Amino acid sequence: MLPLPSLRLAIIGLVFTWVIYAILPTLQYRALSEEDKDARRTAGSLEALEHRIISLGLDLQGGIHLVLEVDIPSLVRTLAKNKDALFDDVLNQTAAEALDSDSDFFTIFSARAEENSLRLIRHFSEFGSRTPDIIAALRLEADDAVDRALEIIRNRVDQFGVSEPTIQKAGGKRIIVELAGVQDPAQARSLIQNTALLEFNILQDLGVGRDVMLKIDEALRAAGSPPEQPAADDTETPADTLEDALAAILGGGGDAPAAVGGLAISQEVLGERPFTGYIFNVGNDFVVASRHRHAVDALLERPESKVAVPTDGVFMWSNRSEVLPATGVDDEFYTLYYLNREPSLTGGVITEAKANIGSLGSNAANQPVVNLSMNSEGERTWARVTGANVGRRVAIVLDKRVHMAPEIRGKIPGGQTEISGMKDMDEAKLIAIVLRAGSLPAPVDIIEERAVGPSLGQDSISSGFRAALYGGLLVIAFMIFYYKGSGLVATLALTFNILVVLAALASLRATLTLPGIAGLILTVGMAVDANVLIFERIREELDKGKSIRAAIDSGYARATVTIIDANVTTILAALVLFQFGTGPIKGFAVTLFWGILASMFTAIFMTRTIFMVRTRNPKVKTLSI
Amino acid sequence: MRLLTNVNIDFLGKRKLAAYLSLTLIAVGLLSLIIRGGPKLGIDFTGGTLAQLQFETPLETGQVRQLLLEGGFDRPIIQRFGADNEVLVRLAAGDVGEDFRERLQTALAGLTFEVRRLESVGPKIGGELRGKALQAILFALLGILIYISLRFDRYYAVGAVVALAHDVLITLGVFSLLDLEIDLAIVAAFLTIVGYSLNDTIVVFDRIRENVKLHRKDDFFFTVNRSVNQTLSRTIITSLTTLMVVLMLYLMGGEVIKYFAFALIVGVLVGTYSSIYVASPLMAMLEVRAQARSSA
Repeated sequence: MLPLPSLRLAIIGLVFTWVIYAILPTLQYRALSEEDKDARRTAGSLEALEHRIISLGLDLQGGIHLVLEVDIPSLVRTLAKNKDALFDDVLNQTAAEALDSDSDFFTIFSARAEENSLRLIRHFSEFGSRTPDIIAALRLEADDAVDRALEIIRNRVDQFGVSEPTIQKAGGKRIIVELAGVQDPAQARSLIQNTALLEFNILQDLGVGRDVMLKIDEALRAAGSPPEQPAADDTETPADTLEDALAAILGGGGDAPAAVGGLAISQEVLGERPFTGYIFNVGNDFVVASRHRHAVDALLERPESKVAVPTDGVFMWSNRSEVLPATGVDDEFYTLYYLNREPSLTGGVITEAKANIGSLGSNAANQPVVNLSMNSEGERTWARVTGANVGRRVAIVLDKRVHMAPEIRGKIPGGQTEISGMKDMDEAKLIAIVLRAGSLPAPVDIIEERAVGPSLGQDSISSGFRAALYGGLLVIAFMIFYYKGSGLVATLALTFNILVVLAALASLRATLTLPGIAGLILTVGMAVDANVLIFERIREELDKGKSIRAAIDSGYARATVTIIDANVTTILAALVLFQFGTGPIKGFAVTLFWGILASMFTAIFMTRTIFMVRTRNPKVKTLSI
Repeated sequence: MRLLTNVNIDFLGKRKLAAYLSLTLIAVGLLSLIIRGGPKLGIDFTGGTLAQLQFETPLETGQVRQLLLEGGFDRPIIQRFGADNEVLVRLAAGDVGEDFRERLQTALAGLTFEVRRLESVGPKIGGELRGKALQAILFALLGILIYISLRFDRYYAVGAVVALAHDVLITLGVFSLLDLEIDLAIVAAFLTIVGYSLNDTIVVFDRIRENVKLHRKDDFFFTVNRSVNQTLSRTIITSLTTLMVVLMLYLMGGEVIKYFAFALIVGVLVGTYSSIYVASPLMAMLEVRAQARSSA
């Protein structure tokens, strides 16, 4: 008698548990109505759920995919001095040639310049004296333009409120932007193509900001409780949190809030302080946990709050959230700044911003700093602003997001400004990019756009799933008809196979696209193949007069080799597709790849276990196949 | 239930006939490709704009064409798409990143419609995608060639790869004959055909290898033919189930996926045929010739 295949059953059970764990959030999410989702968003619990669901591709939920390219010829034209007919001619030639050549723009430019005896030094004297130096410097300028565009787009897409946008640099001078669920492509385009707005706003004193917040509290209390209270996450509220939190909120000076302790905000606190209940005081900043940002935004949008905020002030968020060790909580926080509504200076005056290491002897020796230069108009304003606000902080605001708020240490007369306080060189570089973003707009062209309307997405989902369902049912009907009981076993394996692929998609944060559904359907067809191979083999062995168990054993043994050989080739094709594919094709490759891997488990391992259990009793003399 | 029991069809005996059939099919496809000046490439590869418009009420494509021409669009291609109130509008490269939507709204003012899908690909990107697609097919073939050479021997690899080229060429020919467009999704379908056809071929090859070990003395052609027969019911059943699902995809998957599914249908049919009539006979011929040469 065969040993009870308990280890096999345990493995299957384990995989089954994982499948359920991975798929459950998606089912939960799909069951939510729009109102439920809004409620959860305000309560801050939507993001966690969204992070665990199978995300749908642009073709399924609608959205926009853009490929942007920095217009290098225009950039070069802007940078050049003493432009003449020859220069324009060479530049135009280069641009035309670069369009249908694989060579890089600057390589061609350098060659064409030489051919036409165009003296680059005449046009780019500040970039160097030798042609290779000039070309190298121009290359750096182009890279920088792409980085700036990337940062501006990141900044803006964040405001668009798209969940999980994709923004990435591709191939040197391109940027890929994917915004799922965006209904209005025109809005998305204008948002991306507008010139960046860089401003410097003076921060109002902490006390002033605190008073405004308390006024908002009062106004909201007077107007009745806010419509959306977060579901109190009291499960994670330690007993002493309330006091800690209360002590921290608007607590004394900068040294008090050592531990905000848990992030639970109870209904009690919010009843008392509907607005400030969300806000913690860390050092000299007001911070809000990432998951409560929407709630705070919603409160600020209410008419009562708007009345409570003085006309000269405005609340603005930091550009990104971070973990603040001082809070003692492992949670991400956004900083909420209270600024002068009127900017003191705008970014157009900046001529140069560079990340450096602070010089010896200065306050920031060996620390990363950013050095800033301005034009004469900027110098004058800057001297006045810094002189009048020594000791206060000035926020660097790009497109209404605060990137940094350093303190003004003294009057800066010559425009030469050094900003310190960055964590590392990367952050300094980023700030320099932000500061440069407001000047010299590098034109960004949209070179590829794919937009799918939400209604088409819905249609695609329903037709895709219908096709999958009917296709699957047909195959199942055929398998049971042809292989009887064994066909049923194969069906079980097939169903589980699909679930495993979906679970893998959810766990890997992969995206399900329409071709992805096609891949899944194809997997169904091909996954059956493994079982067909095995069953045909078992039948042959039975024909030779072998016992049931011997037939099963050799059937599986012989078929497995074939299945592996056959599947490896399909996996090779899937990998190649994944490598070169963009968007939808990648989606197809992903489901095909996981479908085949999963089928090895379900069609070989799982069905065999079922046969083992079924034929454990030596009295079993027939096999339904 | 059983479909086929103890069949013994002389597949290899018909190999000359099969070769003529295959060569004819490929020749017709190639001829069509030559006459049409290469495969008809979609905007993914040529650049251009494609818009899928859904109107509130059914209308004639001629009407849309007229309005677009008057609206200043250059040589628009209008095509009905699925339901009788939906059309596809294609335009040559040059409109990417422009105010395309606004122009469309202006030209078609008076009609109520929704832009269901809009795809714009710049000419440069189109060329790059073309290069990448070719690269992908070549890499896939190379990988497969290496894998089969390692697992079997080089004559098997040659047989398999010729069968693959055969399948892709015929499918390409069918697309050309029917004047269907090749876009990125179709290239993906081609690669899937490659994977599928190979899957089929390898199952047969595996059986041949096994039978050669079992019956060393038998005539090689006889062994190959026996192997093809032994795996025949599996080949047919798998092709059948795959066809079932792909057919469902074709019939119910919606317009966007229709041609992708169509390529797969052609590929599955041709792939099944080629693993029986192309890959195995060719491999057998090469093996036998090599054996004769080494024993001579």
